[in-house]
Amino acid sequence: MEQRRSIGQLAGAMADPNQPAVVVDRVTETFRLFHERPSGLKERLYRMRRASYTDFNALEDVSFTIEHGESVAVIGPNGSGKSTLLKLLARILPPDEGTVRTNGRVASLLELGAGFHGDLTGRENIRLNGAILGLSGTEIAERFDEIVEFAGVEHLLDTAVRTYSSGLEVRLGFAVAVTVDPDILLVDEVLAVGDAEFQERSLDRMRTFRDAGKTFVLVSHDLDAVREMCDRAIVLDRGRALFDGPVSEGVELYKQRVVSSAAPRVDRRRGPRQVAIDDVRLLDSDGELATEVARSSPLVLRVRLRALTEVEVCSVGVVVSRGDGTHLYELHTTWQGVGVGPLRPWQEAVVEVRFTAHLLAGHYAIACSVTDASGRETWAVVAEAARFAVQPAPGGAGLVDLSASAVVADGPVRRTGDGKAGPIPLPRLQRRQARG
Amino acid sequence: MLQRGGSPRGYDGPGTQVSGVAVAVGGSGVTTQPHGVDTTSVPGASRLATLRVSTKLVELWRARELLAQLVRKELKVRYRNSALGFLWSMLTPVLMTAVFSVVFTQIVRIPVDDFPAFFISGYLVWQFLQNSCQGAIHSIVGNGELIKKVYFPREVLPLSHVFSQLIHLLLALLVLSPYLIYSRGFGVLVHLPTTLLAIALLTVFTSGIAMWFAGVNVVFRDLQELFVVIFQVWFYATPVLYPLALVTAQMGERFAWIAQLIAINPATWFVELARLGLYGSVSATGDVLVPLRDGPPAWPSVTSTAVAGGWAVAMFVVGYLVFLRRARTFAKEV
Repeated sequence: MEQRRSIGQLAGAMADPNQPAVVVDRVTETFRLFHERPSGLKERLYRMRRASYTDFNALEDVSFTIEHGESVAVIGPNGSGKSTLLKLLARILPPDEGTVRTNGRVASLLELGAGFHGDLTGRENIRLNGAILGLSGTEIAERFDEIVEFAGVEHLLDTAVRTYSSGLEVRLGFAVAVTVDPDILLVDEVLAVGDAEFQERSLDRMRTFRDAGKTFVLVSHDLDAVREMCDRAIVLDRGRALFDGPVSEGVELYKQRVVSSAAPRVDRRRGPRQVAIDDVRLLDSDGELATEVARSSPLVLRVRLRALTEVEVCSVGVVVSRGDGTHLYELHTTWQGVGVGPLRPWQEAVVEVRFTAHLLAGHYAIACSVTDASGRETWAVVAEAARFAVQPAPGGAGLVDLSASAVVADGPVRRTGDGKAGPIPLPRLQRRQARG
Repeated sequence: MLQRGGSPRGYDGPGTQVSGVAVAVGGSGVTTQPHGVDTTSVPGASRLATLRVSTKLVELWRARELLAQLVRKELKVRYRNSALGFLWSMLTPVLMTAVFSVVFTQIVRIPVDDFPAFFISGYLVWQFLQNSCQGAIHSIVGNGELIKKVYFPREVLPLSHVFSQLIHLLLALLVLSPYLIYSRGFGVLVHLPTTLLAIALLTVFTSGIAMWFAGVNVVFRDLQELFVVIFQVWFYATPVLYPLALVTAQMGERFAWIAQLIAINPATWFVELARLGLYGSVSATGDVLVPLRDGPPAWPSVTSTAVAGGWAVAMFVVGYLVFLRRARTFAKEV
């Protein structure tokens, strides 16, 4: 490596096929959130006395390696650090801790038409934008016609870009960006612009790129596109890599695990707070805290509540939903003729809801609420009172454990294996270490 | 499940780090840089730092097309919608010369021959320095969107202002040279190398100081407010309006420090050097009635060239290093 380093090699920008395309090693990226951005003399003097900022880790201890030719999707909710990760790969940001190594020419479609100047013509902007993206003069000249043709701007070449429509500007930006012909392409949610025909052409271009064996990193919320374009997914949540593996599993996990945090919400009119829910525990048959349970095991949800004022009668509601927010089961105790009360102020009560989780492998959440007897006024809600996962087990796939059994009613029977050939097991969750 | 990068930390030997713009070996993205710790304080960092700078220079060289495009943009956008366009780069110094000539020959007399020629020979290079810095100081802050979205060697932004101003300077010189030749003789042409040397050294110096202004202004925005004051003081501390010899000749014992201050001022050396080629030398006679004697354009002394060269290199290195250090976090700060 050391000896082969020469200006000539550098100028060629060749990717070394013996090394991974991207190595991200224990990277942490910290943003300093100033409560009042100190950038003047006065603030600076003020800051000497008292620091007024908080550090926020956009990425925490993220590591992964991408080999040449892999197509990787980075998915996660807003604010999970996806764009920061892409900026690190594009070298826009340096890592605060850890290392990022890329091997080969990197081009990013983070922002199309970055550096376009409205007063310059299309022709001049192609040259400027190409140069910003790292093309040399001759490279731009070689690709000029291709860019113009791809963007479809022949008739506007000598018009100031300021007069272009925003869609046209993006097309021109995209056209320049894709001709960079990088070894590693970074794409950040750019397909949402342009008309349908252009989107199709863009996707085509990326497919060609992927099929040419180039490395490809896509950040998107469009899970269908992710599934189609990528083989591998990295799921980020609050700056941590939650999962790294096959794209189908990653997308499934993202849907279940991550989308849920926003989804289940007991949607009822919020009344005055008369009751507080102090504690909710999900216990298994042994009275242990249940987080990962076997299929169809009996569970107990124990809700401890406390009256804040005089309460005549109240009802405890429980909603079980799948990770992606699908409503599975709802019960209010008064539906079964059970109310809690009367309660004096500060008097506690414990309600136990016993049920059997006739569910198949997946991640589930329980929301808990206290309402008046009719269920019209909500007095207290815990949106995510408990979470549990049902372990994968052979015998059936889907959502509900219907306890089916199969027999050959008529005809010869042959036993196949030991019944272990079940559905694809769900990936084990990488648990957040620092959870509340 | 998670791929915990299998490579040990020690691997940090230079890999081929390539960006959309240029190649970097070792360098910023590759080295482990603990938060808040300066690279230079890490053991063995001096080798790395050298590597980093040479890497950066290669990167800068590879970004020359970008620099050229940015200079073109600067030149084109600056005079859009103005009727006289490029003529302004000559008209401004001519108008300034007219004003100062009236004031300093008719009202207050500065005892030099051909005051307009004397003034413009210094003012052109001064204007280059000031305009370059003025453009550069906003170049990072004003291009925040670009910096947050694309990687390219950030130094091309301030440098593009320096080079577009350089083109203005050369054009202005070209247009004004007939006048200088007319008033100072053909020595101006013969001693063109002196002028070009002065401009070359000043470009290196200006690049350094422009990068310094651009980088520091990102974290210390008061600088752009202070800018006018700084340059006003600096202008009067530089012998543009008056000959250096006059200060040395007329300052009494009490104000000797002012003469020293002016001599320390790096801009003095560049202005004197340029003026030596474009106007000629001005020296004190010791006579009270005719205190100054001017000579034709001449070749510079080794000392003055060395001092100017020293300032140029020193300022470039300091400005570049400060800029590089700041540039790591531009994307977070603009």
